[in-house]
Amino acid sequence: MITIKVSNLKKYFKVYKKEPGLWGSIKSLWKRSYETVKAVDDVSFEIAEGEIVGFIGQNGAGKTTTLKMLSGLLYPTDGKTTVLEFNPWDRKPEFQKQFALVMGQKNQLWWDLPAIESFHLNKAIYEIPDKIFDETLAKLSKILDVEDILRIQVRKLSLGQRMKCEIIAALLHNPKVLFLDEPTIGLDVVMQKTLRDFIKTYNKEFGATIILTSHYMGDVKELCERVIIIDKGHKVYDGKLADIINKYARNKILSLTLENSITKNDLEQFGTVKSFKNNQATLIVPRKEATKIASKILNQFKVNDLNIEEVPIEVVIREIFGAKKIH
Amino acid sequence: MSLTVWTVIFTSNNSAFGYSKESMITYIFLVAFLQSMIIASSLNGLASRLYSGEISNYLLKPINLFGLFAIQEIADKIKNLLFLFLESLFLFLIFKPIIVFPDLKLFLLFLIWSFGGLILNFIITLLFGSLGFWSPQVWGPKFLFFMILDFTAGKLFPLDILPIMLQKIIYLTPFPYLSFVQIQLFLNRLNSQDILKHTVILVFWIFILGTITNKIWKKGLKSYESVGI
Repeated sequence: MITIKVSNLKKYFKVYKKEPGLWGSIKSLWKRSYETVKAVDDVSFEIAEGEIVGFIGQNGAGKTTTLKMLSGLLYPTDGKTTVLEFNPWDRKPEFQKQFALVMGQKNQLWWDLPAIESFHLNKAIYEIPDKIFDETLAKLSKILDVEDILRIQVRKLSLGQRMKCEIIAALLHNPKVLFLDEPTIGLDVVMQKTLRDFIKTYNKEFGATIILTSHYMGDVKELCERVIIIDKGHKVYDGKLADIINKYARNKILSLTLENSITKNDLEQFGTVKSFKNNQATLIVPRKEATKIASKILNQFKVNDLNIEEVPIEVVIREIFGAKKIH
Repeated sequence: MSLTVWTVIFTSNNSAFGYSKESMITYIFLVAFLQSMIIASSLNGLASRLYSGEISNYLLKPINLFGLFAIQEIADKIKNLLFLFLESLFLFLIFKPIIVFPDLKLFLLFLIWSFGGLILNFIITLLFGSLGFWSPQVWGPKFLFFMILDFTAGKLFPLDILPIMLQKIIYLTPFPYLSFVQIQLFLNRLNSQDILKHTVILVFWIFILGTITNKIWKKGLKSYESVGI
């Protein structure tokens, strides 16, 4: 079943450009230049029930804007969105009770109150029955290991503890659709791992459909089979994460350990030498010829160890964005 | 302060501008009461809450936004009422004023009109707040509004001491319906024709401004940028 359907979605913002300084401010009183920013430009995709999809893109690519439109916060300039067969913009309570948006940089918890108070508020808002509330809260706080901090003022909690409480607040009503925007931002590696495991469990247990945006490729690699890459408001890739490498990586990495000492020049005929030290070398070679080159090297030199590896996915994605010319 | 000023005026005269000393003191107490009940609002910072994207949290949840604002208003008014009670008790003990109460029928109508005034002010506050969808600079118009309100709602002085021409102009605005007409009713200074006229106009303002506010909010939410989150 298709849970989320987006067709030709667009969101344009009109922004005013101000020149710096006092004179710029004064000038702006009578003359202003506006510019239309195409935050999301003609994006379409479908997400099936129970899928975890990663949204990848640079800052300002339009990831959060898309999530906000899917949540009914922003009114699309054009295009159509359907989530659980609702138009998010209508903000129907029946829809709102079935989804949650978690943003790593935002609080929904009351700053001066213990998290448990905010949970009770959400219980009332989402009309969660007592029994289900108690059960869900007990379960979530156990998995995320926050049982002993629920009664401490939120302002006194650490970032990680707060984030976990935010997640609990968002999940108390057992949403079927979950939008996670940078959920692991600012968390240490242990906490990131806990959160990832938790998201995975939640997805399996409730069959929840999840869209995740993250700057950490680790999050995406571990959680999402499918990714949608957005660049400057456009969708540039939609498919399996593993296929990105096949599709976009032009090179492979050859790592060698040589028995005899040779010069860097000897290797340069085979490809770009990335590193060369103490008889250990890393070469970047064209993907299609990797095996051929490897066998040539094996023939010419005495090699102790040879490894052919894929280029890291981060690098491939960076290449897609054209931010940096690589390999 | 106005209590002192008017007490001084009434030491030499028994009546001024058609108000007896008792009615004037009642007037002053009523102004204070209606100020807290009608004009004071917890939603004065609404525009900046919109502009900063703070309301996003509420927009995501199954809550009626206007319902939420209304409840915040009611909570605020209850708090005001408590303080007002303590304050009035204190002033009563000092000035020992005689408050002239109208008959029950008028008093009930007074309560209804006050409630109407409260709704009207709520709508006007939402209207001002909606500017926050487009600009954070609402302080200017809001300040102007409060200044005008002080003079036209009858807060500083009864409107009927003004020249007739000025009164007529003021009655073309919704402001006298935010305190002044209610007080006139309480003091039994309106005839049945006036009562009917003011009831119609009060309902008219609520309806017109309510419709405009509703339209502007719908438009505003469409251009809401939900920043900061």
